[in-house]
Amino acid sequence: MSPHVTELLALAAAGALDAGESERVAAHVRECAACAARADEWGHVVLGLGRLPQPRPSQALVARTLEAVEALIAERAERDWSRAALGFLVALAWTLAIVAWLVIDLVAGELALRLARPVGPTAAWYGAYLVAGWLTAGAAAVLLGRRVQEEGRTV
Amino acid sequence: MDPDREDAARLRRGDTSALAGLMSRHQARLFRYLLRLVGDESLAEDTFQQAWLQVAERIGRYDASRPFAPWLFTVARNLALDHLRRQRSESLDDVDEPAAPRSASDPLERALARQQTARMAAALTELAPLDREVLSLRFEEELLLPELAAKLGVPLPTAKARLYRALTRLRERLLATAAAGDWR
Repeated sequence: MSPHVTELLALAAAGALDAGESERVAAHVRECAACAARADEWGHVVLGLGRLPQPRPSQALVARTLEAVEALIAERAERDWSRAALGFLVALAWTLAIVAWLVIDLVAGELALRLARPVGPTAAWYGAYLVAGWLTAGAAAVLLGRRVQEEGRTV
Repeated sequence: MDPDREDAARLRRGDTSALAGLMSRHQARLFRYLLRLVGDESLAEDTFQQAWLQVAERIGRYDASRPFAPWLFTVARNLALDHLRRQRSESLDDVDEPAAPRSASDPLERALARQQTARMAAALTELAPLDREVLSLRFEEELLLPELAAKLGVPLPTAKARLYRALTRLRERLLATAAAGDWR
Protein backbone atom coordinates (compact mmCIF):
# COMPACT_ATOMS: atom_id res chain seq x y z
CA MET A 1 0.00 0.00 0.00
CA SER A 2 1.26 3.52 -0.78
CA PRO A 3 2.08 5.77 2.20
CA HIS A 4 -0.86 7.55 3.87
CA VAL A 5 -1.84 10.89 2.42
CA THR A 6 -3.63 12.27 5.50
CA GLU A 7 -2.28 15.78 5.09
CA LEU A 8 -3.37 15.98 1.47
CA LEU A 9 -6.95 14.83 2.07
CA ALA A 10 -8.22 18.21 3.23
CA LEU A 11 -6.68 20.00 0.27
CA ALA A 12 -7.96 17.29 -2.07
CA ALA A 13 -11.52 17.86 -0.83
CA ALA A 14 -10.95 21.61 -1.24
CA GLY A 15 -9.86 21.12 -4.85
CA ALA A 16 -6.50 22.70 -4.08
CA LEU A 17 -4.11 20.00 -5.29
CA ASP A 18 -2.33 19.80 -8.61
CA ALA A 19 -3.07 16.93 -10.99
CA GLY A 20 -0.20 14.74 -9.76
CA GLU A 21 -1.12 15.12 -6.10
CA SER A 22 -4.80 14.50 -6.81
CA GLU A 23 -3.95 11.30 -8.64
CA ARG A 24 -1.73 10.12 -5.79
CA VAL A 25 -4.52 10.80 -3.26
CA ALA A 26 -7.16 9.08 -5.38
CA ALA A 27 -4.96 6.00 -5.86
CA HIS A 28 -4.25 5.74 -2.14
CA VAL A 29 -7.86 6.29 -1.09
CA ARG A 30 -8.96 3.45 -3.37
CA GLU A 31 -6.89 0.98 -1.36
CA CYS A 32 -6.94 2.50 2.17
CA ALA A 33 -10.19 2.36 4.12
CA ALA A 34 -8.96 4.72 6.87
CA CYS A 35 -7.97 7.44 4.40
CA ALA A 36 -11.17 6.84 2.43
CA ALA A 37 -13.20 7.45 5.60
CA ARG A 38 -11.20 10.61 6.36
CA ALA A 39 -11.63 11.79 2.76
CA ASP A 40 -15.37 11.28 3.12
CA GLU A 41 -15.30 13.33 6.32
CA TRP A 42 -13.45 16.16 4.58
CA GLY A 43 -15.97 15.98 1.77
CA HIS A 44 -18.73 16.71 4.27
CA VAL A 45 -16.81 19.62 5.78
CA VAL A 46 -16.34 21.17 2.36
CA LEU A 47 -19.97 20.53 1.45
CA GLY A 48 -21.04 22.24 4.66
CA LEU A 49 -18.93 25.27 3.84
CA GLY A 50 -20.61 25.51 0.46
CA ARG A 51 -24.03 25.42 2.11
CA LEU A 52 -23.46 28.28 4.51
CA PRO A 53 -26.20 30.92 4.55
CA GLN A 54 -25.39 33.79 2.25
CA PRO A 55 -25.95 37.03 4.16
CA ARG A 56 -26.76 40.15 2.13
CA PRO A 57 -26.48 43.79 3.12
CA SER A 58 -29.78 45.25 4.27
CA GLN A 59 -31.55 47.75 2.02
CA ALA A 60 -31.13 50.34 4.76
CA LEU A 61 -27.35 49.84 4.76
CA VAL A 62 -27.19 50.14 0.97
CA ALA A 63 -29.34 53.30 1.04
CA ARG A 64 -27.25 54.79 3.86
CA THR A 65 -24.05 54.04 1.98
CA LEU A 66 -25.32 55.56 -1.27
CA GLU A 67 -26.40 58.68 0.61
CA ALA A 68 -23.01 59.02 2.34
CA VAL A 69 -21.12 58.63 -0.93
CA GLU A 70 -23.34 61.15 -2.70
CA ALA A 71 -22.71 63.64 0.12
CA LEU A 72 -18.98 63.04 -0.14
CA ILE A 73 -18.97 63.57 -3.91
CA ALA A 74 -21.06 66.75 -3.58
CA GLU A 75 -18.68 68.08 -0.96
CA ARG A 76 -15.69 67.24 -3.12
CA ALA A 77 -17.27 68.97 -6.14
CA GLU A 78 -17.93 72.09 -4.06
CA ARG A 79 -14.37 72.06 -2.74
CA ASP A 80 -12.98 71.72 -6.28
CA TRP A 81 -15.20 74.58 -7.45
CA SER A 82 -14.05 76.77 -4.54
CA ARG A 83 -10.41 76.06 -5.36
CA ALA A 84 -10.94 76.86 -9.04
CA ALA A 85 -12.78 80.09 -8.14
CA LEU A 86 -10.02 81.09 -5.75
CA GLY A 87 -7.38 80.45 -8.41
CA PHE A 88 -9.30 82.53 -10.93
CA LEU A 89 -9.74 85.42 -8.46
CA VAL A 90 -6.03 85.44 -7.56
CA ALA A 91 -5.09 85.53 -11.26
CA LEU A 92 -7.63 88.32 -11.86
CA ALA A 93 -6.28 90.31 -8.91
CA TRP A 94 -2.72 90.13 -10.24
CA THR A 95 -3.86 91.10 -13.74
CA LEU A 96 -5.78 94.09 -12.39
CA ALA A 97 -2.80 95.15 -10.27
CA ILE A 98 -0.49 95.15 -13.30
CA VAL A 99 -3.00 96.83 -15.60
CA ALA A 100 -3.79 99.41 -12.92
CA TRP A 101 -0.10 100.36 -12.70
CA LEU A 102 0.00 101.02 -16.45
CA VAL A 103 -3.25 102.99 -16.40
CA ILE A 104 -2.30 105.08 -13.36
CA ASP A 105 1.14 105.71 -14.79
CA LEU A 106 -0.49 106.91 -17.99
CA VAL A 107 -3.05 109.11 -16.22
CA ALA A 108 -0.63 110.57 -13.68
CA GLY A 109 2.25 110.93 -16.16
CA GLU A 110 1.81 111.59 -19.84
CA LEU A 111 -1.91 112.41 -19.78
CA ALA A 112 -1.57 114.85 -16.87
CA LEU A 113 1.34 116.48 -18.68
CA ARG A 114 -0.66 116.89 -21.88
CA LEU A 115 -3.63 118.30 -20.00
CA ALA A 116 -1.26 120.47 -17.96
CA ARG A 117 -3.12 119.31 -14.83
CA PRO A 118 -0.79 117.43 -12.42
CA VAL A 119 -2.59 114.72 -10.45
CA GLY A 120 0.20 113.78 -8.05
CA PRO A 121 2.85 111.06 -8.05
CA THR A 122 2.01 107.68 -9.67
CA ALA A 123 3.18 105.69 -6.63
CA ALA A 124 0.73 107.49 -4.32
CA TRP A 125 -2.23 106.76 -6.60
CA TYR A 126 -1.13 103.20 -7.08
CA GLY A 127 -0.71 102.73 -3.31
CA ALA A 128 -4.19 104.09 -2.71
CA TYR A 129 -5.57 101.78 -5.37
CA LEU A 130 -3.92 98.73 -3.81
CA VAL A 131 -5.11 99.59 -0.28
CA ALA A 132 -8.67 100.06 -1.54
CA GLY A 133 -8.43 96.76 -3.45
CA TRP A 134 -7.14 94.83 -0.45
CA LEU A 135 -9.77 96.29 1.88
CA THR A 136 -12.55 95.37 -0.55
CA ALA A 137 -11.19 91.81 -0.98
CA GLY A 138 -10.83 91.46 2.81
CA ALA A 139 -14.41 92.56 3.41
CA ALA A 140 -15.65 90.14 0.72
CA ALA A 141 -13.67 87.28 2.30
CA VAL A 142 -15.14 88.02 5.76
CA LEU A 143 -18.69 88.11 4.38
CA LEU A 144 -18.18 84.88 2.45
CA GLY A 145 -16.62 83.18 5.49
CA ARG A 146 -19.60 84.14 7.66
CA ARG A 147 -22.02 82.79 5.09
CA VAL A 148 -20.17 79.48 4.84
CA GLN A 149 -20.08 79.25 8.64
CA GLU A 150 -23.82 79.91 8.88
CA GLU A 151 -24.51 77.16 6.35
CA GLY A 152 -22.23 74.79 8.28
CA ARG A 153 -20.19 74.00 5.20
CA THR A 154 -16.47 73.55 4.77
CA VAL A 155 -14.55 75.17 1.92
CA MET B 1 -17.21 47.89 -22.53
CA ASP B 2 -17.19 46.23 -19.11
CA PRO B 3 -20.03 47.84 -17.09
CA ASP B 4 -17.77 48.10 -14.03
CA ARG B 5 -15.15 50.10 -15.91
CA GLU B 6 -17.83 52.25 -17.51
CA ASP B 7 -19.36 53.03 -14.12
CA ALA B 8 -15.93 53.64 -12.60
CA ALA B 9 -15.17 56.16 -15.36
CA ARG B 10 -18.49 57.92 -14.71
CA LEU B 11 -17.85 57.95 -10.96
CA ARG B 12 -14.46 59.53 -11.63
CA ARG B 13 -16.30 62.33 -13.44
CA GLY B 14 -18.44 62.83 -10.32
CA ASP B 15 -21.55 61.04 -11.61
CA THR B 16 -23.02 59.55 -8.43
CA SER B 17 -25.57 57.46 -10.32
CA ALA B 18 -22.67 55.25 -11.46
CA LEU B 19 -22.22 54.11 -7.89
CA ALA B 20 -25.64 52.43 -7.82
CA GLY B 21 -24.57 50.16 -10.69
CA LEU B 22 -21.26 49.26 -9.06
CA MET B 23 -22.94 48.59 -5.74
CA SER B 24 -25.72 46.47 -7.16
CA ARG B 25 -23.17 44.22 -8.85
CA HIS B 26 -20.80 43.82 -5.91
CA GLN B 27 -22.68 44.56 -2.68
CA ALA B 28 -23.71 40.98 -1.85
CA ARG B 29 -20.29 39.43 -2.40
CA LEU B 30 -18.51 42.29 -0.68
CA PHE B 31 -20.75 42.21 2.38
CA ARG B 32 -20.50 38.43 2.71
CA TYR B 33 -16.73 38.59 2.39
CA LEU B 34 -16.47 41.34 5.01
CA LEU B 35 -18.81 39.53 7.37
CA ARG B 36 -16.73 36.37 7.15
CA LEU B 37 -13.50 38.32 7.60
CA VAL B 38 -14.47 40.49 10.57
CA GLY B 39 -16.97 38.05 12.08
CA ASP B 40 -19.26 40.77 13.38
CA GLU B 41 -22.31 42.12 11.58
CA SER B 42 -22.08 45.66 12.87
CA LEU B 43 -18.37 45.94 12.08
CA ALA B 44 -19.01 44.42 8.65
CA GLU B 45 -21.66 47.11 8.00
CA ASP B 46 -19.29 49.90 9.05
CA THR B 47 -16.50 48.53 6.90
CA PHE B 48 -18.87 48.05 3.97
CA GLN B 49 -19.88 51.72 4.11
CA GLN B 50 -16.32 52.95 4.56
CA ALA B 51 -15.13 50.78 1.68
CA TRP B 52 -17.56 52.44 -0.73
CA LEU B 53 -16.67 55.89 0.61
CA GLN B 54 -13.02 55.12 0.00
CA VAL B 55 -13.83 53.85 -3.48
CA ALA B 56 -15.53 57.17 -4.28
CA GLU B 57 -12.66 59.12 -2.79
CA ARG B 58 -9.87 57.16 -4.47
CA ILE B 59 -11.52 56.29 -7.77
CA GLY B 60 -8.85 58.40 -9.48
CA ARG B 61 -6.25 55.82 -8.42
CA TYR B 62 -8.15 52.88 -9.91
CA ASP B 63 -6.35 51.47 -12.95
CA ALA B 64 -9.15 51.03 -15.50
CA SER B 65 -7.10 48.49 -17.46
CA ARG B 66 -7.68 46.01 -14.64
CA PRO B 67 -10.95 44.50 -13.35
CA PHE B 68 -12.76 46.58 -10.75
CA ALA B 69 -13.73 43.82 -8.27
CA PRO B 70 -10.20 42.91 -7.08
CA TRP B 71 -9.44 46.58 -6.47
CA LEU B 72 -12.69 47.00 -4.51
CA PHE B 73 -11.99 43.92 -2.42
CA THR B 74 -8.43 45.07 -1.71
CA VAL B 75 -9.73 48.43 -0.47
CA ALA B 76 -12.30 46.66 1.71
CA ARG B 77 -9.80 44.09 2.99
CA ASN B 78 -7.31 46.76 4.06
CA LEU B 79 -10.03 48.61 5.92
CA ALA B 80 -11.27 45.44 7.61
CA LEU B 81 -7.77 44.42 8.70
CA ASP B 82 -7.15 47.94 10.06
CA HIS B 83 -10.36 47.68 12.08
CA LEU B 84 -9.42 44.27 13.40
CA ARG B 85 -5.90 45.39 14.32
CA ARG B 86 -7.30 48.34 16.24
CA GLN B 87 -9.69 46.05 18.09
CA ARG B 88 -7.25 43.29 18.93
CA SER B 89 -3.85 43.31 20.46
CA GLU B 90 -3.12 39.78 19.28
CA SER B 91 -2.27 38.63 15.78
CA LEU B 92 -5.02 38.19 13.20
CA ASP B 93 -3.83 34.62 12.84
CA ASP B 94 -4.77 33.83 16.42
CA VAL B 95 -7.91 31.90 17.17
CA ASP B 96 -10.49 33.57 19.35
CA GLU B 97 -11.77 31.98 22.46
CA PRO B 98 -15.10 30.36 21.62
CA ALA B 99 -17.58 33.17 21.46
CA ALA B 100 -20.50 33.32 23.83
CA PRO B 101 -23.75 32.38 22.09
CA ARG B 102 -25.14 35.36 20.25
CA SER B 103 -28.30 36.91 21.55
CA ALA B 104 -31.55 35.93 19.93
CA SER B 105 -31.86 39.51 18.69
CA ASP B 106 -28.90 39.06 16.34
CA PRO B 107 -30.46 38.73 12.87
CA LEU B 108 -27.52 36.80 11.47
CA GLU B 109 -27.71 34.28 14.29
CA ARG B 110 -31.47 33.89 13.82
CA ALA B 111 -30.92 33.23 10.16
CA LEU B 112 -28.19 30.75 10.89
CA ALA B 113 -30.30 28.93 13.47
CA ARG B 114 -32.87 28.28 10.77
CA GLN B 115 -30.29 26.54 8.67
CA GLN B 116 -29.09 22.98 9.04
CA THR B 117 -25.57 24.34 8.79
CA ALA B 118 -25.80 26.38 11.97
CA ARG B 119 -23.08 24.35 13.62
CA MET B 120 -20.76 24.85 10.70
CA ALA B 121 -21.42 28.60 10.78
CA ALA B 122 -20.81 28.69 14.52
CA ALA B 123 -17.52 26.84 14.12
CA LEU B 124 -16.55 29.29 11.40
CA THR B 125 -17.18 32.31 13.60
CA GLU B 126 -14.79 30.87 16.18
CA LEU B 127 -11.90 30.79 13.74
CA ALA B 128 -9.29 33.52 13.35
CA PRO B 129 -10.18 36.25 10.82
CA LEU B 130 -7.54 35.16 8.31
CA ASP B 131 -8.76 31.55 8.51
CA ARG B 132 -12.34 32.66 7.88
CA GLU B 133 -11.16 34.79 5.01
CA VAL B 134 -9.34 32.01 3.20
CA LEU B 135 -12.28 29.62 3.60
CA SER B 136 -14.74 32.22 2.38
CA LEU B 137 -12.62 33.02 -0.65
CA ARG B 138 -12.27 29.35 -1.58
CA PHE B 139 -15.75 28.03 -0.83
CA GLU B 140 -18.03 31.05 -1.16
CA GLU B 141 -16.22 33.16 -3.72
CA GLU B 142 -15.08 29.90 -5.33
CA LEU B 143 -11.61 31.22 -6.13
CA LEU B 144 -9.09 28.72 -7.41
CA LEU B 145 -5.83 28.45 -5.53
CA PRO B 146 -3.82 30.78 -7.84
CA GLU B 147 -6.60 33.42 -7.68
CA LEU B 148 -6.80 33.00 -3.94
CA ALA B 149 -3.04 33.51 -3.61
CA ALA B 150 -3.25 36.63 -5.77
CA LYS B 151 -6.13 38.01 -3.71
CA LEU B 152 -4.23 37.44 -0.47
CA GLY B 153 -1.02 38.75 -1.99
CA VAL B 154 0.96 35.66 -0.98
CA PRO B 155 2.84 32.94 -2.91
CA LEU B 156 0.91 29.83 -3.96
CA PRO B 157 2.47 27.49 -1.34
CA THR B 158 1.60 30.00 1.41
CA ALA B 159 -2.00 30.18 0.21
CA LYS B 160 -2.15 26.38 0.19
CA ALA B 161 -0.73 26.22 3.71
CA ARG B 162 -3.23 28.81 4.94
CA LEU B 163 -6.11 26.91 3.38
CA TYR B 164 -4.93 23.67 4.96
CA ARG B 165 -4.49 25.29 8.35
CA ALA B 166 -7.94 26.90 8.19
CA LEU B 167 -9.57 23.60 7.24
CA THR B 168 -7.88 21.67 10.04
CA ARG B 169 -8.78 24.34 12.57
CA LEU B 170 -12.38 24.26 11.37
CA ARG B 171 -12.45 20.47 11.69
CA GLU B 172 -11.05 20.74 15.22
CA ARG B 173 -13.83 23.18 16.13
CA LEU B 174 -16.46 20.92 14.63
CA LEU B 175 -15.08 17.90 16.44
CA ALA B 176 -15.00 19.84 19.69
CA THR B 177 -18.74 20.45 19.49
CA ALA B 178 -19.96 17.17 18.01
CA ALA B 179 -18.99 13.76 16.78
CA ALA B 180 -17.86 13.79 13.17
CA GLY B 181 -21.03 12.08 12.02
CA ASP B 182 -23.19 14.87 13.45
CA TRP B 183 -22.06 17.55 11.05
CA ARG B 184 -22.58 15.52 7.91
